[in-house]
Amino acid sequence: MGLLSDPSLSTHNKLVDNLAKHVRKLCLALYTAGVVWFLCLAMPEFNHGTYLSENALSPGLVYPEIRIEANRLAVQLLEELQRERKEHQSTTPHAWIAAKFQEFGLETHTHNYTLRYPFGDGKEFHGKNIYGILRAPRIGSTEGIVFSAPYRVPSSVHVDITPSVPLLLAFADFARRKNYWAKDLIFLVTEQEQLGMQAWLEAYHDGDKESDSSDAYLRAGNLPARAGSLQAALNIEVQDLEVDYIDVKIEGLNGKLPNLDMFNLVQRIMAREGVVSGYKHTPRKKRRSHQSNYEQNLRQMLAMLSSQASGVPNGNHGLFHRYRIDALTITASKRVTNANVKSNPTSAAVPLLKAIEGIARSLNNLLERFHQSFFFYVIVNNDRYISIGDYMPALIALVACTFIKAYLTWSTLDVTVAATQSDPKSAGGKSTLAADTMKLSLPYGSVLIYLTFVLLIGYCGNVLPLQEYFSKLPLSAAPLTASILVGLNAIGFVLPFVVTLPPGGLELLHIGLLLIYGCAMIVIGLLNFSLGFFVAVISMPLIIALNTKASDKSMRNLTCVWTLLLNPLVIIYIIVLIMSFYQFPELTALQLLPRAASAAMDAATFALIDSVIYGNWLYFVVCTIFLPLWIISWTLVVGKRRDVEITKTKLKTN
Amino acid sequence: MDFKCFKLLLLGGAVRLYFSRTSVAALIGNRVEFATPLNSYKRMQEGVFLLHQGIDPYSGDLVHETPLVLKAISSLFLNYAAFLPLLYILCDLCTATLLYSMSRSFVAQKLQQQRKESENYDKDSIELQYSEKDHYDIAKMVLVAYLFNPLTVMSCIGLTSTVLSNLLLASFLCALTRRHLLVCLVLLAFETVRSLYPVVLIAPLLLIFARRSAGLSIAIFLMFASFCLAIAGANFLVMNSWNFLDGTLGFIFYFRDLQPNIGLFWYFFTEMFEHFRTMFLITFQLNATVLYLVPLSIKLRKEPMLLATVLVALMAVFRAYPSLGDVGFYLALMPLWRRCWKFMAHGFVVFTFFLVTLSMMGSLWHLWIYAGSANANFYFGATLAFCTGQIFLITDLLFAHVKREFCLYNGQKIMIDGEEARILLE
Repeated sequence: MGLLSDPSLSTHNKLVDNLAKHVRKLCLALYTAGVVWFLCLAMPEFNHGTYLSENALSPGLVYPEIRIEANRLAVQLLEELQRERKEHQSTTPHAWIAAKFQEFGLETHTHNYTLRYPFGDGKEFHGKNIYGILRAPRIGSTEGIVFSAPYRVPSSVHVDITPSVPLLLAFADFARRKNYWAKDLIFLVTEQEQLGMQAWLEAYHDGDKESDSSDAYLRAGNLPARAGSLQAALNIEVQDLEVDYIDVKIEGLNGKLPNLDMFNLVQRIMAREGVVSGYKHTPRKKRRSHQSNYEQNLRQMLAMLSSQASGVPNGNHGLFHRYRIDALTITASKRVTNANVKSNPTSAAVPLLKAIEGIARSLNNLLERFHQSFFFYVIVNNDRYISIGDYMPALIALVACTFIKAYLTWSTLDVTVAATQSDPKSAGGKSTLAADTMKLSLPYGSVLIYLTFVLLIGYCGNVLPLQEYFSKLPLSAAPLTASILVGLNAIGFVLPFVVTLPPGGLELLHIGLLLIYGCAMIVIGLLNFSLGFFVAVISMPLIIALNTKASDKSMRNLTCVWTLLLNPLVIIYIIVLIMSFYQFPELTALQLLPRAASAAMDAATFALIDSVIYGNWLYFVVCTIFLPLWIISWTLVVGKRRDVEITKTKLKTN
Repeated sequence: MDFKCFKLLLLGGAVRLYFSRTSVAALIGNRVEFATPLNSYKRMQEGVFLLHQGIDPYSGDLVHETPLVLKAISSLFLNYAAFLPLLYILCDLCTATLLYSMSRSFVAQKLQQQRKESENYDKDSIELQYSEKDHYDIAKMVLVAYLFNPLTVMSCIGLTSTVLSNLLLASFLCALTRRHLLVCLVLLAFETVRSLYPVVLIAPLLLIFARRSAGLSIAIFLMFASFCLAIAGANFLVMNSWNFLDGTLGFIFYFRDLQPNIGLFWYFFTEMFEHFRTMFLITFQLNATVLYLVPLSIKLRKEPMLLATVLVALMAVFRAYPSLGDVGFYLALMPLWRRCWKFMAHGFVVFTFFLVTLSMMGSLWHLWIYAGSANANFYFGATLAFCTGQIFLITDLLFAHVKREFCLYNGQKIMIDGEEARILLE
């Protein structure tokens, strides 16, 4: 019979009862199905070859016109810049860059910004970006494309990418001589890594403010000139003009990706110019391993998902995504001296320059923003991808467990609650009759208050570390944040021992947990698939195993330990521990543990700073969603024992 | 109304007052799920301002509130803008009180009716009958369901004029249970001129006041029509032009604003070919008004209040510019059918549906509008699922009612050949 017009008089469904007995098996089957589906996606039968769907791009339609003079100019500029760098050990040679922009005939401007460091007790940092606009001769500055190169000072800890700026300048000089540009080109040199880029983008989009509000940590300042709405951006990081291979970086803020067309475009043009390029490309020696195709694909997928999951962009391009601008970074690696490959320094960078020209001309052809191809995809290989329709079922199968479990728990709730409240033997027959009244008399109010309180604890984790009175304490940022988080976790840990929910409350809380967890996973999975998927894979078995019914002791102890292991702080610590183990294999375990602890504290603080400056959601999600969910699960694991004790004493008194 | 209910009312007011002073209020006021072109605060503000400046608000395509309402609150809007949230909160509390008193008299009538019919009831059906305790319990549940439903709270703090519609509907229902014909007619006529769809509520009204005589029905209907005309005339006197009719009723009927909302109209009307528009317009509007009216009125002729509940719910699902405030209103009427709940099999499923789709709506809207990575189809998928959930709920209620009626007379345990009996629809 129909789903809606079920003619049965009693709402008690036998199928549901039978399913409820096997709820764990059912959920585990679904869980396995989800994980297996995900693993299958690495097989070539499950993913597709990439293709360009935006016809306007027409990559390679024109012959590259950039010639060896551009390379010569780049080499000459690099020499000049190297001389400048000797004088500017920890600052950017702004004057030189601006002078060059001006020399090439670009409309040159500087952009100042200020950072009010959240834990610096009012300390301020200043920065300066330089950008030149090449106005399109054919249009009234309504659209623009950004070419950016980060500048790193010699004292920086990161890899030296000085040649990016000369390369950008050489391309700017070439572009200025052409009259076919239909979009303004912005050439941007940023400093202080992502901070400069974030400030520039904020200033570009947030309009001219009279005076910056003092609340904001990053005062972006104003821009003297703009170039219409930005359509796309290309960030260039070049380690050397002699390029070995190119690594294309796409992961942006909060796991956002540029349109797949943009990635394909770069791949196509690089291939045409004979530049070795790929996603997560590694040097040749390492690549020549004996992995099967499947294993390679799976590694690629997992690498992509794990770099997406933190939500931290892996290049300056990632910040563009927030403003709906498709952007990616091309990272050119230095050629390790190899006797077999003879290179000519006077023409070494020509292929790369040609590729940049090709990309620029294709982007110039765009009639509207990228919209044809996918925004949600996982790259399996340089030329293969998985679309959202193919990978979402994996997450849906995982999340479906919670809803099925919630439904079955709810349907059999009357029996369960009756069993704990009265004599279990007489419960079965009676409860079905009074099912309806039983469900109404559950302690909704107190469970709701408990949930609100737990959410409030999570919310505090978000707000407290930034409060003024805490920043006045003589503590540096990392211990402060860490101690607040540990404090909140401790409150959550103690909570179930202090608060006793009325009978039936735990069962209701269980259902609440399942529903909230399911909704949270769906939302997180939509916004950042990789984070949602990883968290679901890790935590779902526990959610399935959680049981408010009395079960044997070993099982209960197991879930208890398991829950403790899944505490957000513990997980962060474990992740950092594993990462530092791989990074510093020479350390002994005893050295490693405290080191990982301090690194984890730093990680928490950086996540908080990322959330207030760049708008990264990770810290917010962990504090406001995962921590409360953990507290609820902990309550369910621990609270049960008290409930049983209470009913036992009640029975005795009766 | 006893002390506890006053406490609840105060608490409900406090919750609204607290949230209306946070930044959530402005956010909700801009969410398409709550603020539609019909009820948004911004458009109301615009209308008041234009009216004050002596410009016809309906010459543009922004204002869709009736002139009478605009005129009535214009002085408040212009002089005491800071106290506006208070006015909306007061309206909402009034709605809650009216619903409370409506449910009390509703249960009283049910009890009276039961006493008359109780001889025919099966012995096994005590559980299905309204009891003396319900007199208080149901009213309290209605009160809580209205006051603390996040949908109504948010709709109130977002200052949507759904608050006003809810107030009018609640007073209409209250007058209906207390059998005040004239009050009913005036309120219904007023709300009909404002938002068209409540016209269907004339059916439960006729069923209550003129069940047996066709002549009386026609007389009441004519009265209703003349009230509608009178209210339209009053509106005309404010504006001195009939422009407002096209700006309000015409705007609803022709569905001119394709802004996304939680309803079913916008997606179809953005997708379809222009020359089919008239046909689909008529189909969709028929669906929202008379399609279910006749069969439901025939089936539920003995239960006019259930008919009213179902019609209010269907209106919230199928109307051209639905908002979550409308959904919150009919959800508050559900406790009236407390005695049918036993047969409602999908309550939990519907609740989960609501929870999931509402949380998905937020994220998909973000992905579509701000991040630019998703598109309209994703969001429409979520709203479609939400509507499906609502239809599940309404159908479930209707079936539960039918089953309850049957069981009242035949008992709950019917065994045929040792197996549980099933009702067949024929």
